[in-house]
Formats: sequence, structure tokens, C-alpha cells
Amino acid sequence: MTNELASLSSELAKVVESAARSAVAVHARPRFSSSGAFWRPGVIVTAEHTVRREEEITVTLPDGTNAPATLAGTDQGTDIAVLKVESAGVALPTTETPQPGNLALAIGRSEDSGVNATMGVISAVSGSWRTWRGGRLDHYIRLDLTLYPGSSGAVVVDVAGRAIGIATSALSRIAGVAIPASTVNRVVDEILARGQVSRGYLGVGLQPIELPEHHKGLIVLSLGEDGPAAKAGIFIGDILVSLDGVAVAEPEDVQNVVESQSVGQTVRAGVIRGGEPRTLPVVIGERPRKD
Amino acid sequence: MSGFGEISERLRRSTVRVSSGRRQGFGSGVIWSASGLVLTNAHVATDAESQVELWDGRRVAARLTARDRRRDLAALQIAATGLEPATPGDSGALRAGELVIAVGNPLGFAGAVSTGVVHSIGRLPGMGRQSWILANVRLAPGNSGGPLADAQGRVVGINTAVVNGLGVAAPSNAATEFLRRGPQPSLGVTLRPMSLGLLILEVDEGGAAQAASLRSGDVLLIPLDDLNAALDSGRATLRLPFLRGDTRRVRETVVRLAPEAVAA
Repeated sequence: MTNELASLSSELAKVVESAARSAVAVHARPRFSSSGAFWRPGVIVTAEHTVRREEEITVTLPDGTNAPATLAGTDQGTDIAVLKVESAGVALPTTETPQPGNLALAIGRSEDSGVNATMGVISAVSGSWRTWRGGRLDHYIRLDLTLYPGSSGAVVVDVAGRAIGIATSALSRIAGVAIPASTVNRVVDEILARGQVSRGYLGVGLQPIELPEHHKGLIVLSLGEDGPAAKAGIFIGDILVSLDGVAVAEPEDVQNVVESQSVGQTVRAGVIRGGEPRTLPVVIGERPRKD
Repeated sequence: MSGFGEISERLRRSTVRVSSGRRQGFGSGVIWSASGLVLTNAHVATDAESQVELWDGRRVAARLTARDRRRDLAALQIAATGLEPATPGDSGALRAGELVIAVGNPLGFAGAVSTGVVHSIGRLPGMGRQSWILANVRLAPGNSGGPLADAQGRVVGINTAVVNGLGVAAPSNAATEFLRRGPQPSLGVTLRPMSLGLLILEVDEGGAAQAASLRSGDVLLIPLDDLNAALDSGRATLRLPFLRGDTRRVRETVVRLAPEAVAA
């Protein structure tokens, strides 16, 4: 007996079987394990929020065996953690941005029951998106599929079995999000090269304010001790109006400029002090890491 | 060609509503043979006698013929004509990602349908050594005992529980084994694992635990996996340390293991 539903069902099971070659379980927190996926030979990617310890991390590989893993680095901002294992593993091909409405499967693994799958559709896709954790995703990919405990870090695939990204429940309250494959690539590159993702840093606390004639600016409310802004001679009470020639009205405008510059570069900060405009050169620093 | 619509319509005719016990809770059941065999969960069919309501509204009396607490399965016998039995599937061939459909009577809705994919197949912590089918279908109280079917409408599982939002079903192969060989040895108790041991919540009338004078409130001092292994070992008796009231005094009882009493 053949019917379209049965053949769709069989196709979906094949996609899961194929993606299962890459899916691992990650044991790096109490109670629930999470999922992860081989991204490159010997390199596994998972969701950073599920990694609660830096040592004694193990993974359950696609063949069901457990292996020790070392933490190569993490990026809280994009919720990505990179692990290294001895086994090479199989990385899936990746795909360009999906369309809203495309079917998607999140494929993870647990030690007890092996590979697991959950299905739904891509519910929204937009351009570059800054997460509440401060990182930037190349696309916002919202998932209309149920993420269960242990699903974070699962690889999200299309019906051809290509990786759309890595599933996480920690970046949005209303839905699961796929961290896009291109963002994962970028973060993995940086972590493997330097052990971390550095973020530009000015060391200022800013508050948007209205200026005369409908102009907007950001008043400096606090200064990080010995931070780049303090060293450049910026004072509390200065009003920041431009950075590197770009007008800034919201703190996010500042983040966008600071991030696109590599750390160590000098940018010109336009400020208003005592009603007088002036320009100060600021050397962008590196955001101190929380321990 | 058949879609979810045709499959669910066929499944509905093989799905019944089961009410049993003092609390008169409702669950579901699956008609397994035209001669009146109905499969449901052990936690749905709690009494020797229960009521079954067919899809066409007929109500018939059902008699419990076998009950397996550990697999959470029970067999009922009804007398009715024109029954449309479900087609059993092979749960051993089921793979993660396959489409599945659940039919049942959740929260009082008759014949409600929910669809999804098989999430995984394997053991579940605290649910013994057997494997279960986990599916991302939305289940609710009242789905218990109802069918989980594959994309061809073959019943691959009996919906049993919800764990972390996932539907959990007893595999159809476990159900056929239960029907062929009868229930696995059981203590005849409802247990809750605690840090101290296994707390007995309820003791079945006529079960092995009752015969061994165990009561609700007693705490068995044995890990659940060890208990299950001991029950499966084929031994006729089982020596069980337990606590009653005084946590410093360990008591002991000997349980005679026999297949669970079948209601006559």
C-alpha cells in the first residue's frame, strides 16, 4: 500500500537517519543532557546556555559510545559553545536562509533513547538580528516546532537534510530560534582561532536624550574605569552624537559601529560638551569577559 | 491515496472510551479484534468491571481479562457486534521522524486527533527497562489507552503518558507480547521514587504486595531498576527490605511472585 502520506513519512525518517550521523548528546549540565552536532572534523557545536561546566564534559556520539570532550570556547552573545573531540564525525552540508513555511526538523540525541526528532515549520525569517545577550545573528530564524528539554543544541535541518542552523530556546521567550549556519561558521572560526569571540568595547553607559531641533544623542551616564572612552578623555555628561561618522541616537547604533570595527582601531567620537561640539579619537577596546 | 483525514476516520471507529474505577476517570481504548478484545492502559482499567462507549455511542460492559502494570497495559473483553478492529503495526520497524497520529478522548472531547513525528524510541528514566515510543504529538488526560498510528493507519503504540511535553506510548509489539504471554510479574503497587526509597502509594486488591502485608505508606528499600530486574529474574519469591513509620527500623517481607491475578 503506497500513499503520499506514507512516502512523506518515510522521507522524513530518512532525513532523520541521515542527520543522526552528525547529532550528539552533550553532558555538560546537571539533570538534562543537551544536543549538539558535528560542524567540522572533530568539532561539535552546541548551545552555550546548556554548558554549565568547563571540565568533565562528555558527549554521546552517533554510534552510541561516550567520549570526553574539551571546551574550545563559548560565545554567550550568540549562544554558541564549541567542543572538540577525538573522533572526526560527520558534518552536514549547510543551506542558505530558509523561507517561512518551509518544513524543518530539529534533530538531537540523548544517551538513553538515541537520536530524536521534532518537526515543524520555519515561522519567520528576517535580516541581521541582535540577541538580548548582545550577539548578532546573520538572520533571525524563528521556529514553529516544539523544543523539549534536551533539544537545545540540536541541528535544525530542511527536508533535504541540510543544516539550517543550531536550535536554541534561550534567545527568545516566544519561540525557539535557529542560530543560522553562517553565524555558526563565523563564531566557530573565531573560537578555533582565538578561543573566544572578542567584542568591541567603549566603556560607557549611555542614555538616549532629545536635543533641540529634533536631534537626538546619547548622554554619558557612566564610564568604565580605565575604559577606552575614559582614556580618550570623554567625561560623564558629554553627549555622544556620532561615532566614526555615523549619527547615533540609540545605544544599538553605537554597538553596530563598535562591533564592525576590529578591536584596536581608532574611531572619531563626535560629542557635545557644554553646548560645544568637539571630536575625540577613541581606541576601541575589547569587552572584558565575565567570569 | 489516504491522508490524515481518512486515517483518523478509520482510527476513530476503532477507538473507544473507557471508564473504570471509583473515581470514574475516563480514558481511551483500542478495539483489537472483531470478537471484542479491547486494549487500554492498566492505569485506565483499574477495576474488574468497566464501561466502554463505542464510536457510535453504544455503551457496553467490559470485563478485565489481563492487566500488566509495568507495561501499563490492560486487556478488556466486550460483547458487541459490528466492531471495527484496528490494524496493528510493527513498532520494531518504526523510526524517528516518521509521521504519527494519535486519536483519543482528551479532556472529554470524543475522537480528538493530534499529529506529529516520532521523537525517539528508547528507555525512559523511572519507567523500567523496556522501550517506549516518544512522539511530539499533543496528548492530554483522556488520551491514555488510545491508539498511536503510523502514516498508513497501523497502530504502532498505545498512548500512555506525557513526559516533558512529549507523548509516550507503549509499543504495539509490547502489546502483542502482553496479549500472547500475559502480564509480567508485578508487585501490584503504585510506586513513587523518593530519595529514601520507593514509596508505596497504592496496593492492588489481591496483588502480590497485599498478600505480603505491604501497605500504602511503606517505603521499599530497593532501587527501581533492581526491583524490575528481580521481578524479571523468574524467581518465585523476593525478599524485600522496607520501612514503616520508624525510619531507623528496617523491616523485611517475602513477596510470592506469580503472574498478576486475572479477574475471573
